[in-house]
Amino acid sequence: MARYLLRRLLQLIPVVIGITLITFLLLHLVPGDPARTLLGVRATPARVAALDREWGLDLPLPVQYVDYVGRLLQGNLGTSIFYEAPVGQLVASALPVTLGMLAMGTIFGIAMAVPLAVLAATHAGRPTDHVIRAVPLIGLGMPPFWVGFILLLVFALTLSLFPVGGWGDTLPQHLISLVLPALTIAAVMTPILVRSMRASLVEVLRSDFVTAARARGLSTWRVLFRHALRNTLIPAVSVLAVNLGYLLGGTVIIENVFGLPGVGNLLLSGIFERDFDVVQSVTLIYALLVVIINIAADLAYARLDPRVVLGQ
Amino acid sequence: MADSTHPQASRPLPRPEITKPPGRLARLAGAAGILLVGVLAACGSATGGASSTTPHRGGNLVIDTDTPVSDFDVWSTSDNESIWCLDQITQALYANSSDGKSVYPLLATSYSLSTNDLTWTIQLRHGVRFSNGAEMTSKDVVFSIQQEANQTNDTGWGFLDAQIASVTAEGSYTVAITTKYPWAPMLADLAFFGNAIVPYNYGGETHAQFYQNPIGTGPFMISKWVKGNYIKLVRNPHYWQPGLPYLDSLTFQAVADANTRVLQLRGGQAQIIEDVPFNEIKSVESAGQKVGLFPSTRIDYVTMNELNAEQAYGMGTDDANTWFTDPHVRAAISYALDTKAIMNAITDGYGTAASSPLMSSVEYYSPVSLDSGNLAMAKQELSESSFPNGGFSIDFITTSQDPIQYSVAEIVKQDLASLNITVNLRLLDPSAVTSQEQTYHFGMRETYWTNDIIDPDEYTSFVLEGGTGSVDFANNTHFDDPTLDSLIAQSETTFNATQRAQLYLKIQQLAADDAPIIWLGDSPYHYGYKTDVHGYTVYPTGNAHFEDVWLSS
Repeated sequence: MARYLLRRLLQLIPVVIGITLITFLLLHLVPGDPARTLLGVRATPARVAALDREWGLDLPLPVQYVDYVGRLLQGNLGTSIFYEAPVGQLVASALPVTLGMLAMGTIFGIAMAVPLAVLAATHAGRPTDHVIRAVPLIGLGMPPFWVGFILLLVFALTLSLFPVGGWGDTLPQHLISLVLPALTIAAVMTPILVRSMRASLVEVLRSDFVTAARARGLSTWRVLFRHALRNTLIPAVSVLAVNLGYLLGGTVIIENVFGLPGVGNLLLSGIFERDFDVVQSVTLIYALLVVIINIAADLAYARLDPRVVLGQ
Repeated sequence: MADSTHPQASRPLPRPEITKPPGRLARLAGAAGILLVGVLAACGSATGGASSTTPHRGGNLVIDTDTPVSDFDVWSTSDNESIWCLDQITQALYANSSDGKSVYPLLATSYSLSTNDLTWTIQLRHGVRFSNGAEMTSKDVVFSIQQEANQTNDTGWGFLDAQIASVTAEGSYTVAITTKYPWAPMLADLAFFGNAIVPYNYGGETHAQFYQNPIGTGPFMISKWVKGNYIKLVRNPHYWQPGLPYLDSLTFQAVADANTRVLQLRGGQAQIIEDVPFNEIKSVESAGQKVGLFPSTRIDYVTMNELNAEQAYGMGTDDANTWFTDPHVRAAISYALDTKAIMNAITDGYGTAASSPLMSSVEYYSPVSLDSGNLAMAKQELSESSFPNGGFSIDFITTSQDPIQYSVAEIVKQDLASLNITVNLRLLDPSAVTSQEQTYHFGMRETYWTNDIIDPDEYTSFVLEGGTGSVDFANNTHFDDPTLDSLIAQSETTFNATQRAQLYLKIQQLAADDAPIIWLGDSPYHYGYKTDVHGYTVYPTGNAHFEDVWLSS
C-alpha cells in the first residue's frame, strides 16, 4: 500500500508540471492582458507598462514560468491582481464551499442510488425496474443549471425550505445553503450510479454464491446487503470517481446558479479578468483533486475487494 | 481675494433640496428637462422607494451586485461596484445631485472663487469625524486632494485633477485650491470619488495598506470583507449627520447570475438587486417587487477604429481599416443602422435612441441631428465615398458574455450586409475584447460609457477628444478633429453658463457631423427592490445614498 501510494504520488510530478505548463502557456498566449483589463478605459501604454513591470509580466515567458514554479514550490500561490489578495487566502475561503458541495452531492447521490438500484435489481424486468431506470434519466437529460433553477423555484421560493442561493455566515447556514446545490449534483449523478449498480447487482444476484447463501437460509436483506451489494460497489466506485472528476468542472455552473462563492466562481472571474495566479492555482487544484479522487477510488477497490492488491 | 461667496446651509433631515453653486455650473434645463421627463414617462415607472411613513432605524440590507466589490484603491479602481460601495465609506467636499446636473456641498459648506478664476477657497464643515472618531480638518483635506492631484493619467485618475497647482490650508476649516488655469468643472471634479477625504497620511499606513481597509467620513464603515464574495458595512457611530444612517448594516453581495439575483429578491435573500434583466422587469413587478428605472448617464455606442494595429505600433503600412477615415463611409454606416430598433432590441423598449453624442441626462445636452435608420441615405453616402460599392470586411470584436454587446454585433452584421459590407464577428472573452481594442486590433466594437462626475467634460475628454495629447485618442477610434478638440478645451475654461452651453451645442453638432462613433442610445439603471425598502434612489452617476435608505420591516 505504501509503495503504491508513493508510486502514485511520484506520478503526480509530471502531471503537475504538465498542468502548470499548459495553463501558463494558454493564459499567456491567448489575447487578453490583466493590466489593460484592470485599467479599462484609462489604460495608457505607460500605465500598462508600469503595471506589467510591477507584476513581472514584462519578463520573458520562461523566466515568468520559472518564477511561478519557484513560488509554487514554496507553497506560495501568488497574488490576485483583481482582488489584491493572496491567492492562497482566496482559495482557502472558496475551497470549502466547492468541496462541501461535492461531498454533500456525493452523499445524496449514493443515498438515492443505492435503494433505487436495489429495488430495480430485485424487481428486474418488472414495471418497478422500468420506472426506476427511466425516471432518473430525466435528471440526466436536464442541464444542471436548469435543474438548479427548478429546485430553487420549488424548494426555496415556493416551499421556503431553503435559502435562494448564497452561503450564509454560520456552519448550519452553510450546510443548509449546500442542500439544493448538492441535490443538483445528485440529480446528475444518480441516474448513472443507479444504472451501473443495478446492472452489477442483477449479475451478482444470479451468481452461485448468492444462490448458496439463500440455500443456507439467509434472509433476503442479509443476502443483499451483506453479500451481493458489496460486490456491486467496485464498478460503482469507478463510475463515481469518473463522474466526480467531471462534476468538478461542472461546479462552475452550479456555483453560479446558486450564488455560491466557491472555487468555480473564483476561476470564472479569474479567467475574465486575466488574473493569472488565480487561474493557474485553481486549475492546478482541480487537477490535483481529480488525481486524488482517483487514488481514493483505487484505495477503495482494495478495501472493498480483498482480491485487489494495489501495486500489482 | 474673492469676487463672490456661496454659503450653503447645513444638511437637515431628510435630504435637503439640492443646492447648486450659482453662476458656475449653470443649467440648460429647458430642452433637457423636458426630454428627461419624456424618458421617465416612456419608461413608465416611478423612481425611488419613496414612502410617506416615518423612517426608523435598524435593519440589515443586502444588495446583490453583478460583480464583487474588488478594489477600493482610488488610483486604480474602475469597476462601478467598488466605487459605489466606497461612496458609502468615504465622502468628498462636494456630492453629485440627484438629478445629475449639479453638485451640493457635503464636507464643505461654501466656496468662493478669486477674481482671476484661479483660487477656490473652500470652507469646511465643522464637527465631521472619521469612523475612527478623529475630527476632519483642513490637514486631512489638503493631504487627500494632493494625493490625487499628484497622480497623472499614467498613474491614476489624476487627469481629473491635472488643473490643480496647489492645495493649502488656511486655518483648520478653510482650504485654498489654486488651479494652473481657469477650470470650470472644478466643483464637479471635487465630487469625484478619488477626491474623497481620508485621514492625513492615511493614518500612518501606506496608500496600499489603507485602501485594503479604508476609513472615511461616510455613513458606513467596513465590518467584514470576504473578497470575491461579499463586503459587509456597518453604521459609522461617528457619522456627522444626526440620526443617519438608518440601517444597521449594508452588505454588497456578488451574485453573477441575473436570474439568481431575481430569485433572491423574490425569496428575500436580498432587498435590492442590480441589473434586473430588461425582459424580466414586468415579471418582477407582477411578483410584487419594485423595479426602479433611474435616469442614468449610460450611453451605448459603436466605435469604428480608424487605425489598424500595424500603424499603431509603427510596424508596417497595412491599411486594413482606412475605410473608417473616409467620413462618407462612417456616415453611410451610421445611416444604415436603425438605432431606435437596436435600442428596442437590447433594452426591451426601456431605452431611447440617441439624439445627441451626449447622454440626455447631463447638463448641456442638446438634441442634434444624428444619422440613423435611412438606407437610401446610407447608399447615397457610400456612393460618394472611396468605396462606392462596399465590398470590404470589418472585424467586429464582441463577447458572448455580454448579451447587449453580442446582440448589437449581430444586428450591425445584418444591417451592413445591405451596403455590401461584410461584418465578421470575432467572439472573445471580455478581457481579450478590452485588450484588442486598446491595441487597435479591431474594426468595430460595441461599448458604453457612464459618467463619474456630473460635468460632461469627463465624457468629452475621453470619448470625443483625439490627438496625441488626448486621454485615449477618442475612445480608441484614433479619430481626431482639431476643431472639436479646441471646443472641448474651451468648454473646460469657460465659466459663463450661456457661453458654455453654446460651446457644448457646437461640440454635439460637430461630433454628430463627424460621426466617428455610432451613438445608439441611453438606458436607465434598472434595480429591483423589495417593497419595504424606502428612500432608495440611484443618481445618474450611478451612486446611491444609503444613509437615506430605511426598511419598514
